[in-house]
Amino acid sequence: MKRKVATLLGIGLLGGVSTAGAAGVENVTFSGFLTAGAAYAARPVLAGTDVVLADGSITNEVTFGRDTRFGLQITAKVNPDVSVTGQMLARGVEQNFTVLTDWAYVKYRVNNNISIRAGRVKLPSFLISDYNEVGYAYPWVRPPMEMYSANPMTGLNGVDALMRFNLGDLSLLVQPFYGTNTQSTTVPQAVIGSGAPLCLTPPPGPVSYVACPAGTIVHTDFTVENLRGINLSLGSDVFTVRAGWFKTQVSAPAFGVKGDDGSFSSVGATMDWKNIVIYTEGFVRIVEGGANAAFPNQEGGYGTFGYRLGKFLPHVTYGWIDDHNNPTPGMSLKQKSVALGLRYEMGRGAAFKFEALRATPEAGTAGLLLSNPDAVGAPSRNESVMIYSTTFDVVF
Amino acid sequence: MKKFKLHWLVAATVLMCSASLSAQAFLAIVAHPSNPTSGITAHEAEQLFLGKTSELNGRRASPIDQAPGSAARAKFLKSVLKKDEAEMSNYWSKLQFTGKAQPPREAQDDTGVKALIVASPEAIGYVDGKSVDGSVKVLLIIP
Repeated sequence: MKRKVATLLGIGLLGGVSTAGAAGVENVTFSGFLTAGAAYAARPVLAGTDVVLADGSITNEVTFGRDTRFGLQITAKVNPDVSVTGQMLARGVEQNFTVLTDWAYVKYRVNNNISIRAGRVKLPSFLISDYNEVGYAYPWVRPPMEMYSANPMTGLNGVDALMRFNLGDLSLLVQPFYGTNTQSTTVPQAVIGSGAPLCLTPPPGPVSYVACPAGTIVHTDFTVENLRGINLSLGSDVFTVRAGWFKTQVSAPAFGVKGDDGSFSSVGATMDWKNIVIYTEGFVRIVEGGANAAFPNQEGGYGTFGYRLGKFLPHVTYGWIDDHNNPTPGMSLKQKSVALGLRYEMGRGAAFKFEALRATPEAGTAGLLLSNPDAVGAPSRNESVMIYSTTFDVVF
Repeated sequence: MKKFKLHWLVAATVLMCSASLSAQAFLAIVAHPSNPTSGITAHEAEQLFLGKTSELNGRRASPIDQAPGSAARAKFLKSVLKKDEAEMSNYWSKLQFTGKAQPPREAQDDTGVKALIVASPEAIGYVDGKSVDGSVKVLLIIP
């Protein structure tokens, strides 16, 4: 058995060296993607730290970790109806490119219309949830943060069904899912007025905000259970519209949060017609109980318009995130942003991107930044921060 | 006697047409000779090669593509899939890393396609018209 696996791997590696799906390698395919990126925020937002984005990933220095990542996928056909897919992902934003398993599932093809997947898959809560790590597959340097930061859960450990129906030139996808997930996220620092930065601190002792060094990033593991929902998508070659919903129970043991209800609803549409490229999405997030302190009720969205000029795709994006009847007003994360981007096709499977984004938190809130850049005592007061990013994206 | 002449006329016309077709390097969508399917439409071929279906007329079908750079692939992309190479890699980048669909297997050339078809009764590929021989069954001619 061991030898069989070794042989299989050997064949797969040979297949990878020549082209994917090369003749003679029938059952194992290798594919991969790489994004090399750099990002820079033009001004500090809080005295005593270079950190600009609330999750610490973009700073007032040029850094390479935020968008840089490498993914490798192996798909093995066990028999005509059963396949196994694994995707390893190494990200600069994790501690020194720790490899994590982004996908790992077995897929059973029931018939031409229905497949069942079990294992670890992506949680389908956005238009590009499935390929949010594959930079080459979308126009921006990274998906608009006002939308994509709203659900920190990207994975699902469980089961889903892909039910596809062709209606003339249209294709309908119905994707119910059920499972659990454990993931890490950052808890935003709070800065009120010109006061000292505050961090939510875990027990021992009561969970409360206490003074902490500027730029402190608090990570917490959280678990979601009984995660159930559905993703509906209708599309043609030109457009896709989708809607999705899920409900779950959130626990963050470090903060004494146990089984609080949360729900996430989202809609989106995209069009790629002649030279015109459009993306737009919106969401509503409701989180109850103690979990609301770290994940407030929110709504938000964005719209992107791009126009293809040969190998160039210039585009503009407007994004916003706001409270949605939030019961704890202390944690407002209101923000608007405008981004101008350019994507350049570098032949088959490679693209270069540049983006200039202006993020403007609403007065009195930090938005998705570490602190409001116009707060009393901010290093160089201004209502906005410019963030410049560039990536080189490859699929192979 | 008149009828006999008409037959010759038809035959000659067909010959001339096929001669002019091969001069223009027509493409043939081909399958294993044992495949009971009598034909395929360009739309069905598009659906199959873009991973939107894995069946043809209710039977499982596995598409065989040609590697980038081949003249047959260039013509197939233009006439049937209506995409260029950049659009193709963009299309698959949105699907292949999700496991929802995998790009077709690729053969290096017409000979490679025919070899894969001989080995797999479910395979459907495309070759230059000049490469058609008894090892494959023609499902559609793309002039």
